[in-house]
Amino acid sequence: MFVLFCPHCGEKREEEEFGYGGEAFIPRPATPEALDDEAWGDYLFMRKNPKGWHWEMWSHNTGCRKFFVVKRNTATNAIAGSWTLAEGRKAYDAEGGST
Amino acid sequence: MSSYRVRRPGARVDFDKPLTFSFDGQAYDGFAGDTLASALLANGTRMLARSFKYGRPRGIIGTGPEEPNALMQIETGAHTIPNLKATQVELYDGLVARRTTGWPTLEFDLKSLGGLFSRFMPAGFYYKTFQNQKLWPKFEHIIRQAAGYGSAPSEPDPETYDHSHRHAQVVIVGGGASGLLAALLAGRAGLKVVLLDEQNECGGWLLSSPHSVIGGEQASAWLKSAVGELQSLPNVQVLTRTSAFALHDMNLVLAVEQLQDHLPIADRAAHQPRQRLHRIRAERVVLATGAIERPLVFGNNDVPGIMTASALTTYLNRYGVAVGKRILLQTSNDHVYQGAADLARAGCEVVLADTRTRINPAWEKRVRAAGVDVRTGFGIAYARGRRAVTGAQLVKLDAQRNVVVGSGPSIDCDALGSSGGLSPTVHLYCHDGGRPHWDEERLAFVVPEAGRAKSGIYGVGAVTGEFGLQNALEQTERITRELLSSLGKSAPTSSGNLKTDEPDATPARRIFRVPDGRAEGHGKKAFVDFQNDVSAADIHLAVRENYRSIEHIKRYTALGFGTDQGKLSNVNGFAIAADVLGKSIPEVGTTTYRPAYSPVTFGTLAGAHAGDTFEPRRYSPMQAAHVARGAEFEPVGQWLRPWYFPQTGEDLHAAVRRECLAARRGVGIMDASTLGKIDLRGKDVREFLNRVYANAWTQLAPGKCRYGLMLDENGMVMDDGVTACVADNHFLMTTTTGGAARVMTWLEKWHQTEWPDLDVYMTSVTDHWATAAVVGPKSRQVLAKICSDIDLSPSAFKFMDWREGTVAGVPARVFRISFSGELAFEVNVDANYGHHVWEALMDGGREFDITPYGTETMHVLRAEKGFIIVGQDTDGSMTPLDLDMAWAVGMKKPFSFIGKRSFARSDTAGPNRKQLVGLLTDDPQIVLAEGAQVIERADVTPPAAMLGHVTSSYYSPELGRSIALAVVRDGIARRSEDGHKSGRDLLYAYAGGKAHKVTVVSPVFVDPKGDRQNV
Amino acid sequence: MSEPTMRSPLHSFGLEEQAKPIDGSCGVWANEIPHLGYISLRGNGTDPAFVTAASTSLGVSLPLRPCTFASSNGITILWLSPDEWMIVCPRAQLSALLGSLRHALTDVRSQVVDNSGGYTQVIIEGPNALDVLQHVSVYDFAGLEPGRVVGTTFGKSSVYAFRQGEGYRVVIRRSFADYIWRYLVRAAVPYGLGIADLAGSRVTEEGVPA
Repeated sequence: MFVLFCPHCGEKREEEEFGYGGEAFIPRPATPEALDDEAWGDYLFMRKNPKGWHWEMWSHNTGCRKFFVVKRNTATNAIAGSWTLAEGRKAYDAEGGST
Repeated sequence: MSSYRVRRPGARVDFDKPLTFSFDGQAYDGFAGDTLASALLANGTRMLARSFKYGRPRGIIGTGPEEPNALMQIETGAHTIPNLKATQVELYDGLVARRTTGWPTLEFDLKSLGGLFSRFMPAGFYYKTFQNQKLWPKFEHIIRQAAGYGSAPSEPDPETYDHSHRHAQVVIVGGGASGLLAALLAGRAGLKVVLLDEQNECGGWLLSSPHSVIGGEQASAWLKSAVGELQSLPNVQVLTRTSAFALHDMNLVLAVEQLQDHLPIADRAAHQPRQRLHRIRAERVVLATGAIERPLVFGNNDVPGIMTASALTTYLNRYGVAVGKRILLQTSNDHVYQGAADLARAGCEVVLADTRTRINPAWEKRVRAAGVDVRTGFGIAYARGRRAVTGAQLVKLDAQRNVVVGSGPSIDCDALGSSGGLSPTVHLYCHDGGRPHWDEERLAFVVPEAGRAKSGIYGVGAVTGEFGLQNALEQTERITRELLSSLGKSAPTSSGNLKTDEPDATPARRIFRVPDGRAEGHGKKAFVDFQNDVSAADIHLAVRENYRSIEHIKRYTALGFGTDQGKLSNVNGFAIAADVLGKSIPEVGTTTYRPAYSPVTFGTLAGAHAGDTFEPRRYSPMQAAHVARGAEFEPVGQWLRPWYFPQTGEDLHAAVRRECLAARRGVGIMDASTLGKIDLRGKDVREFLNRVYANAWTQLAPGKCRYGLMLDENGMVMDDGVTACVADNHFLMTTTTGGAARVMTWLEKWHQTEWPDLDVYMTSVTDHWATAAVVGPKSRQVLAKICSDIDLSPSAFKFMDWREGTVAGVPARVFRISFSGELAFEVNVDANYGHHVWEALMDGGREFDITPYGTETMHVLRAEKGFIIVGQDTDGSMTPLDLDMAWAVGMKKPFSFIGKRSFARSDTAGPNRKQLVGLLTDDPQIVLAEGAQVIERADVTPPAAMLGHVTSSYYSPELGRSIALAVVRDGIARRSEDGHKSGRDLLYAYAGGKAHKVTVVSPVFVDPKGDRQNV
Repeated sequence: MSEPTMRSPLHSFGLEEQAKPIDGSCGVWANEIPHLGYISLRGNGTDPAFVTAASTSLGVSLPLRPCTFASSNGITILWLSPDEWMIVCPRAQLSALLGSLRHALTDVRSQVVDNSGGYTQVIIEGPNALDVLQHVSVYDFAGLEPGRVVGTTFGKSSVYAFRQGEGYRVVIRRSFADYIWRYLVRAAVPYGLGIADLAGSRVTEEGVPA
């Protein structure tokens, strides 16, 4: 029951307005057929699931219906920020593409 | 007026408003302003409960949510509420209360026999005794009778509840002196403030000590002017009878407001909810939740008439009830002294036994002047009395160590109050992950005053360990100023004179368990947790049995469970455990404080999510037409869809038989409006469809439709539906009824996250289009009657075509698609015209005996054709190949569509896949149960190898026999193509204790060549 | 064959027959504004070609600031997302607007969809309108300024809500209308709910005052 800032609507909104969109920045392999089963399995199933900071996607279901990026601490629900997908990618890369 | 009543000046009961009420069937009187507890005490009631485990007599101990014993069943019938604390029930005229414990009677409790043998019921009794699971059910019945508390109402709740979502700059929890001052400062600064107090009026402890002095005036006068000013400030809202029971992430305070419970049932306003749940999102939260006095642990400390010392004071000063004539007070600190003086001045004979040898001289002088007999260095070894306290045996304590060094006097009394210090109400602070700090000087777990200021949470007053009134007020002023400046505000320079008349405090003695000179477990039972009958000896035993973590000790002994959640017992329990473990209290720590602070009714949590607003019920635009024709309805996701249309005397089977035959041989009509519909447009729309569907869309021409399978990335079918090409860059997709929202989000996610460059936009038009499916050999004739501008001839309007035209005078899109295998037309119009067009089709079809049908018939018709229902015949583990639908997969598409790569995964590509087949029972009249297990042999002796299960099963009126769809391991290879029974195609379906012989066949039972839909 | 007649999503509640002029007898006044035209418009709000073409053909500048709306000539345009707007118009203007929008946007990356069957609008007014909205939605309606529109919750469903004049408007999906209306009625019980006679009030027939 936290509050998220929607970077598109420009407002903080209650969690009830959003839907969880899973871990962010798991790009779909460009050529799936070139991957062996293990690499494809990693893409399908392996997630970081950290206790601590987590880059994830949320979708503003009742509002703009846009997916966006949130950096959230899974242990405390502290939120470091939220960004559009493109801006979030930059912020994520600026941190070295990890937590 | 009973002899326990004292007309105290400043008391908050109205002696001019007498009330009557009943307890356990007997009539009593009280006054407006009483709680049920104060009124019972005024009537001399002592024992009103039996304890949980030992059946020991119990009475009232506290004055509020900390009360462990006085759990009441309030009112009867539909209005009955179990387990309310008598200390929190406001008295009203005619209130009906009953005890909740004592079986078979309060006077004779069966468990008390067990109490005689109580050494056989140690901590962990149930775990140790009922290891034999087979015996447990027999005992459970008896134990529940004996141990149970109140009864849940058996009738529906006649009252309503609602929720209110609020946003405030400052929420202050607790309307005592500190909370009021914080509210005044924040309110004067112009902030949007909400002040919550769980009692019927603000004041907190000031209501129990109205003669204290604040800034030269009596506390009662200060209180009155503070409340008056708050009420005059438009930016401040004061909610009384409102208990903040949870503090969640980002300063979300949940509070329940009691709107009606204090009123006689007949006077309750029908249009007002009984309770309201406030969900308040606050920029800043001020916890001014105060503290609860904890009793000392001594022998027989549970005898009725033994209370916290502060409770005795509160009953006297706030409610005008002197609980006893001869009162013994036992303390380790200064807090009881004012109450001792008040009780003595009210005419009670008061002995004050202080465990300390060095006591506060100023307080000593004041209480002696009031006539209190002060004894220092004494502890209570044990209390006397069984159903009411009659006295106590004192012992001389060592000045430093908590050991007995000599005997003491025996004191007679009819009420006994003890104080082991104050335990701050830290609960809310901890709900959100905060941990209280142990303050060794104040002997309390406290909230740090800056709280978690970074998150906007502050503590003021007793919750921070500032137990003195003046210190608390000065601290509150300082902290509130900090809070205001964090919001860019400042308070006026002075809050006025906050000086009080308290003497400086003298340190309290660090004592929790008063020693009786005997080894723990050998003296009189000394209770730590009253509601769960946890004694000091039980905690010792748990440690002896090697429980080390306080969380484990809690669960083994039941310390701190129950409706009071250990508000009196926890700190004593932690301290005793620490002593036995040889650790410090902070090393032992606390158990976890979780919401709710005090019990909340289910009704309140549900709010308006009840009755016809429990869940969204979605209706098609033709709903009124279905109701008028007497349809029975069934929920499909959130939708309510016609299930079948019974005619007089028909049951489900008769109606479905008639409806099926009409659709197969004449004409039927079904409301398909609930199907999800998504409009897609853009020059890349075909490429987008190629990626999200298994099949290919590059060639589909405008005016044509195609069935599509949508897969997840695992290659499993997640949705299906027909998609139509409207124009070269414009498509209309349909989805399953239940999958519409999921598919829409799915498509948006792929477009937004992976393929934003594709020129395509999608918009849900599910609700825009009303859809009537006209189905059957005569459907063309029906449609022709009300549609003149579409050439309906078979050569001009082919199967899987769609046309734009006018139906019943309304612009329409007509799709020649079929979910039944029959000639069928799906008519789509603006939903505002849905009802009109439905009725026009019914009129046009009258001469053909057009028959409306519901979802049950739809299911039979599609199962006869082997058409799947995603989510019924599939379960997220079925690929198109498992469904024998390779024809719907475009493996040659250049882009690796979603799910394609997974076809090659070893598990997906390997043998032993469960595959969709048809099943025919040997006995054509047996309709298998859906979910029946498919097995190889009739012998079901475990372990029977399970090959799969029946997913759909119906009686087919067209075939005059039963049919079933099933998923079966290697099912496709097992299918008998020509009906001969080779052995491999013979299996058994087991359900309801019987194994039925079945033949594995193709899932297409009717018209296998598909001729009928092409006529 | 009978003449085509429209049935609004809240038709079955018979609100028209219960309507009365707004007075002081109820804390909340509500009613459906039926049969408006609704057009879903998708396009890139940062693409000048799209914005210009859409604004010109509508005669109203497309609101580009998040959560705002624009009204003119009986047309209201709600910003829903950076690439989505909802155009609310009198039914009589619907096909002309659809035609001119489609024409203007023929060669522009965009989508124009008639969604008129899919939505309806409810007006919520009166001294306790805010209280009711606090019951039904998690949004901070006390902070909703005129000229702003938000997509938020309504019970367990969702709506687009905006302030117009003294009252609030909620745009609701047809299939949820029954639930939302019942939820609203239930939430308004403590204050008394009146069915507002919109014909006689300041609300014009098309529901969107100039």
